[in-house]
Amino acid sequence: MATDIETENTALLQFLYACPAGLVEFSAAGVIGMINPAAMGLLLPMAGRPFVANLFDVFEGCAPELRNMVQQFAAPQGTICEGHRIITGRGARSSVLACSVSKLTEDRYVATLSDVTEQVARERRLKQAETWFASLLDGIDDVAVLSIDATGCIDAAMPSATRQTGFAETELVGRCFAAFDRPDRASATLQPGEAIAVARRDGWHLHEGWHALADGGRYWCQRLIALRHPSDGVAQGFAMILRAVTRQHRDAADLRRMLTRDHLTGASNRAHFFETAERQILRSLRDGTPLALVLLDVDLFKRVNDEHGHAAGDAVLREVARRCEAGLRPEDLFARLGGEEFVALMPEASLSAASVVAERLRASLAAQQMEAGGIPLRITASFGCSALGGGITSLADLLAAADGALYVAKRTGRDRVVASDPGQAAA
Amino acid sequence: MQSAAMLSFDAIALDTLAALDEEALDTLPFGVVGLSSEGNVEVYNATEAKLAGLPRDTVVGTHYFSVTAQCMNNFMVAQRLEDEAEIDATIDYVLTLRMRPTPVRLRLLKARRMERRFILIDR
Repeated sequence: MATDIETENTALLQFLYACPAGLVEFSAAGVIGMINPAAMGLLLPMAGRPFVANLFDVFEGCAPELRNMVQQFAAPQGTICEGHRIITGRGARSSVLACSVSKLTEDRYVATLSDVTEQVARERRLKQAETWFASLLDGIDDVAVLSIDATGCIDAAMPSATRQTGFAETELVGRCFAAFDRPDRASATLQPGEAIAVARRDGWHLHEGWHALADGGRYWCQRLIALRHPSDGVAQGFAMILRAVTRQHRDAADLRRMLTRDHLTGASNRAHFFETAERQILRSLRDGTPLALVLLDVDLFKRVNDEHGHAAGDAVLREVARRCEAGLRPEDLFARLGGEEFVALMPEASLSAASVVAERLRASLAAQQMEAGGIPLRITASFGCSALGGGITSLADLLAAADGALYVAKRTGRDRVVASDPGQAAA
Repeated sequence: MQSAAMLSFDAIALDTLAALDEEALDTLPFGVVGLSSEGNVEVYNATEAKLAGLPRDTVVGTHYFSVTAQCMNNFMVAQRLEDEAEIDATIDYVLTLRMRPTPVRLRLLKARRMERRFILIDR
């Protein structure tokens, strides 16, 4: 006969076995103490091998910031993150996890994990609608209204538009609305015609970005382009509504940096890379322009961590990112894919041009020792290059081809650049 | 009486397993879980009950991959048992027995001639 305590113990275990959210208890070093089946179910496919003992190791590939966040959290206890988004896998196979971490003591942490992939896709669309409703509720005064025709030309501007932008009506009318966009590297860039095409398809398009002012300056605004319902069923004009966002520009820039940058190195993060790269590849395929990708992996990095500690490893990664960014053009997208692996996406670059750049980056790493916490270290990296064409038509193809070349670079002695063989691209 | 070697985790045959009564299953040193074609637990031996910390009567009749073993509800285990007509495969795995990450070997057993399929768990 089971005692009351045994019965309760069983009930507790069953509760944890059946819990649909993942629960993990771990130490400051990431060593997993307790974990429920839902969490193991999420971590096993990421680990890629049937042993999961350290949470930071599992996340090293896709969310290396987690270790930094835990280690940099100074308070004796409290919430380290809530619903932190982690993108696992690559391209079509990727999924999104939401992760919350609480610190209980100096050496005891609890994390919850859940798969929110579908939710994220729904949210993106909902957020746009929400932004728009918020703008309606927040007062009509700072809203500028313009009318644009089917081709995207401004054909009328209300007094509210001249008041908000400072432009006279004659300076606005007749010009393409996009001519007043002032995008920068950190803000999302749209393809030409994308806003109009989406508005025609869905009835509306929302965008947030910099807009020109008559005095040469710019202001941050939300822009809604809405299809005007044609009374005769033919007219295809749009209403464009600009809403100045009054919050401090610095805050907005910080927020965007946080969402697009890797916590440790300041390079683009995975989420931003995949989003921007997909867009860039579509553009190159459409325009028939070249596009290359360079994958690089720091050689023997595990040894740096093991022999000199994670702080030295972090310093090395920051310096690698700094030297690489310095050797790339502003239009190249440089991102940390995870762990000690970085990627550069190079628009308008051929395979041979990318190999030349990669060789320059390789030399800039190898030429001079790196200071990691007072210890000079000689750090090298191996490079794999690939480019669109010859059967390579997607981000997944580009990454796979560069991965193959990188593998050859590692196997043939490291500290070298290998370009993928375009003839073997499809293999 | 079967010899001990024939009843080992690696050697035991599906038909031998199916023929053992509850008492004999309970003496095996590894976990035995028998599932219906719908995935409901029909066999749950004493070793497995002890490893998981769950009395047999609380598990038998429940849907194994949703209630007790979510971490096997993937392409490596549940999907294979569903998709493949015949299996006798041993894989390295890690379970969360009593919420502790525990490396184990799993042996998946399924045959056309038998409705019931088995998962053997050796830690």
